[in-house]
Amino acid sequence: MDFAGFLITQCLNALSQAALLFFLGVGLTLIFGIMRIVNFAHGAFFMLGAYVGYTAVHVTGSFWAALVFAPLAVGLVGAAFELGILRRLYRRDGNAFLMVTFGLTLILGEVIRLIWGVAALEVPAPRSLSGIVFIFDEPFPVYRLFLAASGVVVALAIWQFLERTRLGLLIRATSQNAEMVHALGTDVRLVRSAVFGIGCGLAGVGGVFAAPLVTASLGMAPNAVIDTFVIVIIGGMGSFAGSLIGALLVAFVQVFGTYYFPDLAMAFMYLIMASVLIVRPGGLLGKEI
Amino acid sequence: MVGWRALLLVAVLLAAAPLGLPLYAMTLLTEALILGLFAMSLDLMVGYTRLFSFGHAAAYGLGAYAAGNLLLHTGLPLVFAVLLAALFSGVVAIGVAWVCTLATGVSFSMLTLAFAQLLYAIAFKWTSVTGASDGLAGIPRSPGPFGITIFSTKNGFYYLVLALLIAAYLFCRGLVNSPFGAVLRGIRENEAKTRALGFNTRHYKIAVVAIAYALGGLAGALYAPFAGFTNTELLFWLFSGQVLIMVIVGGAGTLVGPILGAAFFLVVQQYLSSYTDSWALFFGAIFIGFVLFAPQGILGLARRALQPRASKPA
Amino acid sequence: MALLELADLTRRFGGLVAVDGVTMQVEAGEVRAVIGPNGAGKSTLFNLVTGVLKATAGEVHFDGQRLTGLPAHRICQRGVSRTFQITALFPEMTARENTQLAAQARHPQRWRPLGGGPVFGAAARHGDAALERLGLTPVAERPAGLLSHGDQRLLEVAMALAQQPRLLLLDEPTQGLSVEETAQAVETLSGLLSDGDLTVLLVEHDMEVVFRLAHKITVLHRGAVIADGPPEMVRADAGVQAAYLGGFD
Repeated sequence: MDFAGFLITQCLNALSQAALLFFLGVGLTLIFGIMRIVNFAHGAFFMLGAYVGYTAVHVTGSFWAALVFAPLAVGLVGAAFELGILRRLYRRDGNAFLMVTFGLTLILGEVIRLIWGVAALEVPAPRSLSGIVFIFDEPFPVYRLFLAASGVVVALAIWQFLERTRLGLLIRATSQNAEMVHALGTDVRLVRSAVFGIGCGLAGVGGVFAAPLVTASLGMAPNAVIDTFVIVIIGGMGSFAGSLIGALLVAFVQVFGTYYFPDLAMAFMYLIMASVLIVRPGGLLGKEI
Repeated sequence: MVGWRALLLVAVLLAAAPLGLPLYAMTLLTEALILGLFAMSLDLMVGYTRLFSFGHAAAYGLGAYAAGNLLLHTGLPLVFAVLLAALFSGVVAIGVAWVCTLATGVSFSMLTLAFAQLLYAIAFKWTSVTGASDGLAGIPRSPGPFGITIFSTKNGFYYLVLALLIAAYLFCRGLVNSPFGAVLRGIRENEAKTRALGFNTRHYKIAVVAIAYALGGLAGALYAPFAGFTNTELLFWLFSGQVLIMVIVGGAGTLVGPILGAAFFLVVQQYLSSYTDSWALFFGAIFIGFVLFAPQGILGLARRALQPRASKPA
Repeated sequence: MALLELADLTRRFGGLVAVDGVTMQVEAGEVRAVIGPNGAGKSTLFNLVTGVLKATAGEVHFDGQRLTGLPAHRICQRGVSRTFQITALFPEMTARENTQLAAQARHPQRWRPLGGGPVFGAAARHGDAALERLGLTPVAERPAGLLSHGDQRLLEVAMALAQQPRLLLLDEPTQGLSVEETAQAVETLSGLLSDGDLTVLLVEHDMEVVFRLAHKITVLHRGAVIADGPPEMVRADAGVQAAYLGGFD
């Protein structure tokens, strides 16, 4: 096997994995950066995205429609939860959020099980993307290329959104000084609901993208939560660039680690997390928690 | 504070339980006491020091697997195996705590979760020691020292669990009322100030985590011979979440509350699961409800009901 | 030999020099006020002395022993106690429990996991004595979070005092107090300090308080010492007046 081919395909593999992780991580870090909430239910929203995506694909016959509809639906659920429940807890300490979002995880998991059942669900990738391409004589799924490319596109889009748009500016301002934003006339509560919805929506996007790869199953949530937290802690809570770096780091460690040391891959991730926290308790680029 | 007279009454009632209760109720009660011990151990961290752990299942699992291995592969008497397993859990915890306490707040919680998941992953792979996803089976209640076999019987085992729970409770009570406990309270209310007063708060946090793991490990170590088997579910994060729910719903920072919470959890789970498979949903909702409206838990509600006049916080 | 000696103490935050080569000696029993405009480096200086921040350069010596580089809790154990600019208490504990915990920190068996009667007894004695000296005995059983702001500031001082410090650092003790509360606090502190058994480093903005309590004044500006001496001398110093833009009376 050609080493160059191997290296490149594995790198592309890692990039596609990083894209998935990034979708998860950026949503969580956005929510934390603005609201100081650690959304334990993030993995459940990811899972919800996959399942809603499954239904959307079967109802509309189009993967692309699912890609639009599912994140919207998930985002709305998230915003509703923020409005109904999280709003009452802003005066309490951060642990209350952690516990409440854990409760939500249990509820969402059960709701999904009730609606869609226990069996893992196949979500077909769109025909245009379900082929194989040859890179340096190595076969590589087109879908993963698409995923990697999408990750880049979404990252750029979010970056521009935060830098250039009015809402993006509001979001950045609120993360630095919510009171000032409020004093300047903006209803900070709306910003918060919007952010939570967007964050969950991003997790939902990740779910839809992930579905063709891993199939929609009830075991998605716990694994996703752990992965997301590892990324965000490595990259730093509240840092957009950090979630990007964290996603890349974890993805590369996972892909190459699984290849060389299949038994130790999980251990590597936690060792990295622990080491980063030892050296820089706020994460590599993070704010104070 | 729950009066000692009430506690004594409860202890007597519990001691008399085997005389009146049918077999299935006794089994449930034994499991409730084991879970109660587990929840109480977490309360030391969560309720008294505000160290939120999402990975306490690690303590339980460590104790269960250690006891399981000791009982299966050595001739060690039940009581010794259980105590040794608890000690093992506590010692491992010192290393875990050393790393976790490098961080504070949410990072600390995530590190505890990470370690529990790491142990979970290890347990899956290390077939020879843990039996992988099948777990250990056929764990015996080995006869005790000097040929004592009472603990191998259902009631005898129940009394062992009860005795250990009471002993653990008395120890914890003494601990939280000691100078060490006063420092924990300071850490809970204002860690920066506690540090500024000259306490090396990290050492105290490591100590309380080690003790909490040792007691949690004791619970797990009792579970192994109780159920006769162990499996990786004991290390899974859902279990960590469940015990956290027991602590909060029961009433954090009271030692007794979490024991109540464990019993409540077990009973409701049994009751609900005969009606619906979706008990997890109800637990999630109950948990959210308590966090929103009754953060002091069941014990807090009971206290408010019994003492309508505003009283000093305990 | 002075009790507290700072030698060329410096602290940089990236490009910003917060404390710039500060050298000063504080004699035992002296009350030294540290004043200066906002941003002069006063709180940073306190944090350096108490070990909350590490010095970029320079040395801190206390009673002949090197404090530089020691962790904060070690320094506290050497007999250096402080209050904070923003009130830091244990709000759900009573005033008595607050001072008791503070006193416990100096007990050799402060960590005892069981029993602890003698520890609590000794700590209570020192704690109650400190409350008495600050006139807080009437509110001893009230939760600290429910005390008036003025009493809370005094409780902070009581907690520091309960540790029987040899060096006491007071960070703006009258911060946020009304005129009456300030006058009362000054009375209490004046009585406290007149015993002469305490060495005090005092950061204050309120000049009347400074002139009432201090034996000597050190003036900081942009992290450096620009004047150092008895109150009348500092008052007349032109450089000091310039730093404050128009002086003070």
